[in-house]
Order: sequence, then C-alpha cells, then structure tokens
Amino acid sequence: MTHPGCALIAALGLVACAPLAALAQPSQRPEPGRVEVGFGWTWTGRAAIGTGDAPEATSSGGALSLFRTSTEVAAARGVEGRVGFRLTSALALEASGGYAVASLRTEISGDYESSPPVTATESVRQFTVGGSLLWHLRHSRGRPAGVEPFLSAGGGYLRELHEGSVLVDTGRFYQVGGGVKVLVVSQQRAWLKGIGLRLDARARARTGGVVFDDRFRVSPSVSAAVYARF
Amino acid sequence: MRRGGGVAVITIAALMLAQAQPALAYLKFGVPVNGAQVTLRWAQPQVRYYISDKSRLPGVTVDQFQAAVGRAFDRWQAVPTAAITYQFSGFTSALPGQDDGLSTLGALDRPDLNRVLASTSFLIDTTTGELLESDVFFNAAFPWSVSPGGEAGTYDLESIAVHEIGHMSGLGHSALGETELREGGGRRVVAAGAVMFPIAFAAGSVEQRTLKADDIAGISDLYPDGGFGAALGSISGRVTRNGQPVFGAHVVAFDPAARSMVATFTLTAEGRFSMGGLSPGPHVLRIEPLDDADVESFFDVSRTVDVDFGVTFLDRLVVVPQGGDSGEVAVAVRPK
Repeated sequence: MTHPGCALIAALGLVACAPLAALAQPSQRPEPGRVEVGFGWTWTGRAAIGTGDAPEATSSGGALSLFRTSTEVAAARGVEGRVGFRLTSALALEASGGYAVASLRTEISGDYESSPPVTATESVRQFTVGGSLLWHLRHSRGRPAGVEPFLSAGGGYLRELHEGSVLVDTGRFYQVGGGVKVLVVSQQRAWLKGIGLRLDARARARTGGVVFDDRFRVSPSVSAAVYARF
Repeated sequence: MRRGGGVAVITIAALMLAQAQPALAYLKFGVPVNGAQVTLRWAQPQVRYYISDKSRLPGVTVDQFQAAVGRAFDRWQAVPTAAITYQFSGFTSALPGQDDGLSTLGALDRPDLNRVLASTSFLIDTTTGELLESDVFFNAAFPWSVSPGGEAGTYDLESIAVHEIGHMSGLGHSALGETELREGGGRRVVAAGAVMFPIAFAAGSVEQRTLKADDIAGISDLYPDGGFGAALGSISGRVTRNGQPVFGAHVVAFDPAARSMVATFTLTAEGRFSMGGLSPGPHVLRIEPLDDADVESFFDVSRTVDVDFGVTFLDRLVVVPQGGDSGEVAVAVRPK
C-alpha cells in the first residue's frame, strides 16, 4: 500500500529541484494555465455516530441496559487527487478522487456484570469521488504575487469498505471551505506553466456510509497538495 | 421417553416459574438420527393446530383461550423473514399430550408441577427426525388472564403461548436475560432479551408478547423465506480460555445500528459457535458464562458446561456481510 505521505514528499522534492530562475515573480496578471492537476495528503476529523444501549426488556415494559456503546468514525488519513479547469480567471471547476483509511470505534462500557470497558474497532477504507467549484479571490488586498486564496464548495459520492472488504456502504458528502495556492514555479510560455502548493481547510458533512443513519455529520478536513498547471 | 415404531416423545419443561427443569434445548433442538444430529423442524411450513375444549384454564373461556393463542401464533407468523404459517383447524375433545397425530393446545390441571406454567411436547419420527406432532399444555393450577393489558396476580396467556409456540416450532431456550436468586430458592427475572428466555416474568406482565431480535433470528433460521439468506448474514467462530476450547459459552452479537441482540452458544467440543439471521454491518461480541438460568434449561444434563470465565468483549468489531459469513472469529475469554 502506498503511504499517503510519500507522494507529497516526492512532489515537494520535485518542486525543490526546479530552477531558481523560474520561481514566481510578483505580477498582477492572471496565473498562467487553464488546467490544474494536483495530488496530496488529506486528513478528515472524527465523526461521532451515536450511542446505544444493548437493551433487555423488564417485566414492566422498561429496559435494562446490558451494556452501553458509543461509536465514532475516527479521523481518516489518506490521499487525494484533483483535476481542475478554469472557467474564468476567478472561477474553476474541479473533479477529485480520494482514498483514506479510518477506523470505526465502539467504546463499550457500563456492563451489567461489571466487565471492564473495551474499545472494539475495525478498519474502514474510504473512497470518494466528487466535484467542487472554486472562487479565486484575485483582488484581495496585500496578496503577494503567486499566492491565490480561494473559496470552495462541492460534494460527492462516498464508498466505504469494512474490514476484509466483506461489506460495502455508500453515502454522500458535501463540503465548504477555502484555502490558498502558492505558485512556486511559473513558466508562461512552456507547456508546463507552473507548479505550486495548495492548502485546503473545509467543513465536510457526510451522510450514509458506515454510519448508522442518514443524518449529516460534520467534520473538519484539511489537505496539502502539490499542483501543476498546464 | 421412547415409544415403539421409531417414534419418540420429547417433553420440554418450557416455561418455568423459578427453577429450571431438565430439557433438551439449544437455540434449535437437535434430534439424533442414525448417529447424526438433525435439526428438529416441521417438514411442511404450514402447521395445523387444534384447541382442546375438554378442559379450561380458570377464568378463561375456550373461545378466549383460542383467541389469545391465535394472537400468539400470529406474532410468529408475522415475522417477514420466516416462512412458517399456522392454521387453526378446530376444537378437539382430546387433551394435549395424547399421541393422536393432532397438535393440540389446551389446559391441564397439574398442581404437582408447581413451578411449570406451560410445557411443550413433541412426537418425532426418530428414523427421519421429522416432527409429527407437538402439543402444548397450560397449567390450570395457576391463575391466568387474557386481559389486553394484563391483570395483576395472573399470568398472561398470550405471553406464555408466544413462548410455547416458539418451542412448538422447534426453538430451544435463549439465554438472553438477567436473573437474580430469590431467598426461597429459584430465580427472579430482572430482564429478558428474548421471548424464549426460559423463566417467565412475574404475574401481570405482558412484556413477553413481543418477539425480540433473537426470537426472529431463530425462527427465520429454522424456516427461512426466499430472501432471508441473501439479505442477512452470520457470524461463526471459536471461544477458548488459556488456549483450551470452551463449551457452552453464551455468545451475544449486538448490532449497534439496530440496537438489537442475537445470541447462541458454543456447541462443539472445539468451542465453535455459529449464529445466523444477523443484520449486515459491524457487531459487538460479548461472551459470558451461562449463569442466569440453570444449565439444564439449555443443555442435556450429560454435558458439562464451562462457566469458569469472566464476561469478555471482543476488542474488534465483527462485520457481518450481506448473505454471507464473517469468517472464523477467535475469542479468548478472560479467566475469572
């Protein structure tokens, strides 16, 4: 399995080796290139799924809890790739795909027969396919050349495989956020018009998948990527 | 008790007040046929039954009896993943327990059985394992009620009938329940997670009219409908203590999404277990010693059940695939 960090490190190495002469210079012109391809590392925070008692009925119609559970999807780490297309100088449309590994964790406590608390886990592999719209804040004050803040909003399809790939759950996600692109290498006339770094911070709302119901759960998500413009 | 002609009668002391009686029960009953264990079940999924009008429970007319028992049959028949149906075929002057080829439910006055509310017996063809007849008697020595909301100081006929019809269909006892010892001997039920728990709630309760997930899984496993196998899954595995197999460990699977429990036992000398009828998805596994009812309520008295271990949770979630099995799950229970 590819370690998600490896791709980023390799890409950063590529940037470091670029000729110094090609480093971006201050400019008010639109950033070069209409097509952008990026790849990087992503982290999505935990999402609480819920609590639930293991119920047994009492003679009066009440319930006795044999034990209690609290379940969450723990933070996921993975990789993400994007292909973007500039519709205007400010607006871009992106398609993305991601792979991450998380764990489903159930904390068990309050056993009726005083068994010690245990956390039961399983590994979950997440695959995502989605799309986003990016609005580049090209006229923001004090923006250094080659630095492009942006806002983003999008959503997509979520496919989660339980441990051993014995069961697949599907769902959806929606996300809003923003970030910044830093163009490190710029070559106006070359086929490869630039290479840069991109940081994203998003609020991601998910529904379906390995969670137990259709309610939305919001988690923070950040990513760091290297991109190339053509 | 064995009778001639390859036919045997097996009696289950099915629902007891406070002290379990010897029985031959697992989640499903097993019948030895030519050296092999055959699951006891009706060959035809439509079971015809009769109501005895020869004797009555105190305070309950024969018509009230038939109506309450009919509602109890309806509860099992309504399980969407099970294919069994029950048909009331009329009243009979025969009493339950007579080997007449009719499956009869009725009252018997048995003050000598002062801890048995009701009991189910089977007539089995021991050459094939086929279930030929099953009778249920309700003990007229106790006070009974058919009141919709139950009645203080009396036992709810419908609740007890639901349990007995589970036996009549081939289900054994479930150990999903908690009890405490009573001062005068026997046990008091604190809570139950299955209608098929062997000890009844106190008089006046109607709680056990409602089937639980464990009951539904059991009847569906015995009489699966067309979609049962494809829609649900199973968990199988092995329980050990210090590397040695554990026989008779009670294995509970909890589905945190549905908040429901299904249970079984380790039933082989190797400590293996298998339970079906589970919802696809992750499950919590809890393994406990059989300590909330007498061992004889579940196992043949000749078997030695291992209860010398503490309640243990598996530290991983077991994922039930849709239409398949989890693969072998190994659980090492902790010593007491």
